[in-house]
Amino acid sequence: MRNTLAISLVATIAVVGCSNLERSRSLANPATPAKTIALQVCSNCHGIDGNSLSPNFPNLAAQQKPYFMAQLKEFRGHNRLDPDGFEYMWGLSRSLTDSQIEGLADYYAAQTPKRPATTASQLTSEGREIFEKGVPEKKIPPCSTCHGDRGQGNEAFPRLAYQHADYVYKQLMVFQRTNERPEGAVMKTVAHELTEQNMRAVAAFVQEFPAP
Amino acid sequence: MATTLFSTRRPAILISHWTAAKLIAMSMLLLLTSNMANALPAFARQTGQNCVACHAGGQFPELTPYGRMFKLTGYTIGERTSVPLSVMAVASYAKVSDTAKTDDSTVDFQKNGAPLFASSSLFLAGKVTDNIGVFVQNTYDNYAAQSEGPNGELGRFKGHSSADNMDFRYADRFIGKDQDLIFGVSLNNNPSVADPWNSVAAWMQYVPGASPTSHQFFDGPYPELGAGGNLAGLSAYAYWNQTIYAEVGLYRTANRAFSFMSAGIPDADTTKLSGTNPYWRLAYNREWGPHNIMVGTSGMIAHVYDGGSDISDPNNKARFKNTGVDAQYQYLLDPHTITVQVAYMRQKEAYSANTIAGAAPPYFLADGVTPVAAVNPSDKTNALRAKLTYVYQAKYGGSLSFFNVTGNANTLNQTSGYDSTSLITTDDPGGTGITSTRVNGNLSGNPATRGFTYEAFWTPIQYARVGVQYTAYNKFNGASDNYDGFGRNAKDNNTLRFYIWAAY
Repeated sequence: MRNTLAISLVATIAVVGCSNLERSRSLANPATPAKTIALQVCSNCHGIDGNSLSPNFPNLAAQQKPYFMAQLKEFRGHNRLDPDGFEYMWGLSRSLTDSQIEGLADYYAAQTPKRPATTASQLTSEGREIFEKGVPEKKIPPCSTCHGDRGQGNEAFPRLAYQHADYVYKQLMVFQRTNERPEGAVMKTVAHELTEQNMRAVAAFVQEFPAP
Repeated sequence: MATTLFSTRRPAILISHWTAAKLIAMSMLLLLTSNMANALPAFARQTGQNCVACHAGGQFPELTPYGRMFKLTGYTIGERTSVPLSVMAVASYAKVSDTAKTDDSTVDFQKNGAPLFASSSLFLAGKVTDNIGVFVQNTYDNYAAQSEGPNGELGRFKGHSSADNMDFRYADRFIGKDQDLIFGVSLNNNPSVADPWNSVAAWMQYVPGASPTSHQFFDGPYPELGAGGNLAGLSAYAYWNQTIYAEVGLYRTANRAFSFMSAGIPDADTTKLSGTNPYWRLAYNREWGPHNIMVGTSGMIAHVYDGGSDISDPNNKARFKNTGVDAQYQYLLDPHTITVQVAYMRQKEAYSANTIAGAAPPYFLADGVTPVAAVNPSDKTNALRAKLTYVYQAKYGGSLSFFNVTGNANTLNQTSGYDSTSLITTDDPGGTGITSTRVNGNLSGNPATRGFTYEAFWTPIQYARVGVQYTAYNKFNGASDNYDGFGRNAKDNNTLRFYIWAAY
């Protein structure tokens, strides 16, 4: 047994010498390819194809590249102060290079978002109203103005379609009630008059994004 | 959804430094400990993430799905740190319900009602290369030994450090669009310590997180392997599509080149195995939405020499066979954390020939009349443990644990005696010179022990936690009433315990 263990140890150490950058989980090496980081690290929470299982973590599939890059840089620069931002993302992003961030943005932009099962509930109907028409009496503009008719996003405005409702709701709360996402200051104005029910409704709608 | 979520959680640097300093200084000063291992700030520094990323609701050592991936990929995510060290300590204070029914309370309850700074741990933990990572724990036990006075009276406790959990790991991950395979090997000193779920033997013992040195009666029974935890073993594991986990390992005595894996433990106290001994593990995992569940089985067959015996004599060799099933459910959606763990372990111990030959004469069941067979060549015990925990905002939590040990009546467990003829209980029932310990005695020879632990805790900052636990026994050493033959009841052992835990 002693020999077995010793041989195994030596073999293990030998294998280390052949460490493969294509399967690295190093976040401090500028040479680690973006796709490797996406698969070896990001996938743990966001899914291999950017469709995450847990609503704690946003879907990244088909996310707008400029928005995606801006967020990672906000995490890296400690400018996004929302709990999920600093608890999970500050550290992971701290040593990423601009080029790795761009590579990650490209990787996720190219993924196909998965549409969750639709429930066609009253809540989603309410959400559709807000998304498509806004709340005129409160001067809340339609979400679609910036985020697109199909919630697909537009450059700096993120894709919302098929995003986890819980995540969207929490981010709306962050925008409305805190200054933890200064880069999203425009949303503070937009979300200012939304009620909690409004936020839940629009979040439920964008998660399903049922056909008109 | 509580909106307070958005106002109470702040980046660590925004927390009052004074508050943090006070809590940490207070906790550190207490020079503490326990086996509540593994909330490792060294890992947090490596990934730059908060403890909650890897630990469910910030409660240690229970891992989130991400924490499991961090462990299974060999602790290699992130950046290698220059000082991969962490320290951990726990202080506690416990009171037992009844300390009167004893021959000598200063012996049986010498730690009762006193603040204990039992031990502290130093961890070397983190990424070494892109494929290798380590988790090495060395624990200082403030109550490791006790001196003896000139007249045989108990003297001062003496502390010393020794090897605790160790896990040297190599891992690789082959992941693509349609498949995900993690493969690794772990050199470790404790069967199942390499496992990422908390319901296996090496980790379930931290439920609810008691330190065996902190008080006589607060560490309820837990499913453990008969092989012990100061061994030298090599295990290989694979995790396929985050669905099937399999691990096989071989364990032997931690001697010669591997003696560092039991360093500091007195030779007589180290587990001596005969040859190589297999450990296995198979688990099914599923994640959906904020939920995840695991159902698994594990086991080990170990040939273990009787403690302190001559290992050149094969008649000192006992055989343990453990088979267990366990399950864990987690609901993780900020600000709520709900976890459920259940573990059931069967153990069959076939006694060594010398143990059987030297066994004491007959004893009696709890009725004091029915005799128990003189010698059981083997005995079975079953340990069931379950725990339900809720944590809010990774700060405020509570848990309810249930434990139930059953087994056949066992003459070799017997430490108290009862003579049905004379109706007298003696402290030397077999005339063997082995004096019965009154509080720890077992009239029936049955291991049955059952009860609940209730716990409430508060984690004001991620590096410190304070808690209170109450453990209530309705069976202890085989009976609810008069389990030791001297009138002590199970509920006399109910224990209230406070603790402060800190790690940095």
